[in-house]
Amino acid sequence: MFISKIMTRNPVTVDQDADILHAQELMAKHQFHQLPVIDAHNFLIGIVTDRDIRSALPSAHLEDDPGKVEWKRFSEIKIKDIMTKEPITISPLYTLQDALLLLQKKRVGAFPVIDEAGILKGIISVSDLLKELINVLGLEEPGTLLCIIVENKIGQMKKIVDAITEEHISFGSVLVARYWEEGKRAVFPYLLTQNIGPLKKKLKNMGHTLLDPMDWHVDH
Amino acid sequence: MKRTGFLYDERYLLHDTGPNHPESPERLKAIYQGIKQAGLLPSLTLFLAMPADLEWIETVHSKNYIKRFEAACNSTISTFDCPDNQICADTFVIALLAVGGVLDAVRRVMTGQIDNAFCAVRPPGHHAEHESAMGFCYFNNVAIAARYLQAEWGIQRVGIVDFDVHHGNGTQHIFEKDPTVFYYSIHQHPTFAFPGTGRVFETGDGEGEGATRNYPVLPGHGDKEYQGLVERDLMPVMEAFSPEVILVSAGFDAHVDDDMSDIQLSTEGYSRIMQRIAALAEHCSNGRLISVLEGGYCIKRLPELAVNHVKILLNI
Repeated sequence: MFISKIMTRNPVTVDQDADILHAQELMAKHQFHQLPVIDAHNFLIGIVTDRDIRSALPSAHLEDDPGKVEWKRFSEIKIKDIMTKEPITISPLYTLQDALLLLQKKRVGAFPVIDEAGILKGIISVSDLLKELINVLGLEEPGTLLCIIVENKIGQMKKIVDAITEEHISFGSVLVARYWEEGKRAVFPYLLTQNIGPLKKKLKNMGHTLLDPMDWHVDH
Repeated sequence: MKRTGFLYDERYLLHDTGPNHPESPERLKAIYQGIKQAGLLPSLTLFLAMPADLEWIETVHSKNYIKRFEAACNSTISTFDCPDNQICADTFVIALLAVGGVLDAVRRVMTGQIDNAFCAVRPPGHHAEHESAMGFCYFNNVAIAARYLQAEWGIQRVGIVDFDVHHGNGTQHIFEKDPTVFYYSIHQHPTFAFPGTGRVFETGDGEGEGATRNYPVLPGHGDKEYQGLVERDLMPVMEAFSPEVILVSAGFDAHVDDDMSDIQLSTEGYSRIMQRIAALAEHCSNGRLISVLEGGYCIKRLPELAVNHVKILLNI
């Protein structure tokens, strides 16, 4: 799944010579936390976050007393003074998996997406990535999650899939299938049904163990 | 002793879900036989179902959805919206009888003919959404009853308590923006049970913020946890809302012997929950309580669960 399919195209951007109060307004209006900074040719030159702006402004409790705050002075601060230059960017041909792994390494709120020439193509935020991950896991479809312990040998998954198919149950996803204990794997199928009783019986009769949900964990 | 209505109609058995389907006519037969054999029928006000006017169905479901459902039942296809939802030629009419019976129970309570009621209906309702069938449910019986109470009987605040082991996604979504209908659900944690909604942070939306409350219970838990949360949370929260009528989505599938869930409520545990809900109705709602069957699939346990449920309503 490519980032080009899930990123926000034509994102709201800001000019490097804009003042920070303008950028703050834009963020509030569109409910974004990051704005890419571009030049006249759509070339990405930086990113500015709401946190950058907050750090440049006096603390919020001073706002109650306008006399204390020289707002004019703050309106003179330009985006280029506070933006992150050369932000971490990704290409539209990055996959969802690439972006998730990169996100784990670099603690940022969003990646600007640029082409080979450095032209801004879009932006993808942590919340966009999470939304996609929720979609991949099938969490928004009604269903039931099972955990089946199977022997770690070729062909086990086929038997499980066959059993589920014989019950006319559709798959939402198969969440994880990995080493569980010596010679065993754990398979977590997410099944789009409420009617799970007959399948559970069938799987048990096939000799599989259904793991008590309170013992589920994936990081073994 | 209270004057308790008991809605049961053999036509509810005509909704044929095919062989090996858990939501079977046997469930209702077991409930009726249980109540009969316990000698409770003479103490109850029995009444039969009547079909609901589409006008009331349309307060919750779109016209298009109702048409689609009717057309599906008139066709040769055997499932509707999802393979879980088995239908037959009679399903549409029987679903209208389920809603109509519940509305009649509401009418009888509101006119004072009876104090409260248990509606043993099929098909169940709490998963049914505005625009789709789900989890064996086609029309949201309880949601339509809430709208009927408000539109026909001038009730301002309706409280819905849903103790089916599955979250009533349909009921929640229908009322999530509505501050006048409080939806309170206790169910198995959505990560471990159908349909995957009803998390603790789903608390309503917009004006309805705060009028939805979800209490997920982890697998393997039972009487102690339910009892604790009923006392600690359900009672004070509902008393604060002060519903004028209480509707109960009564699902008996949290029983330890019911293989639809991993919750381990005992028969006595179920009674204790219902006793508190009845006390709540006494305290807030002038005793006005209409309980509507949702899930519950253990044929062996349904009779005793229904008998105890009805005895609590009768206050005997």
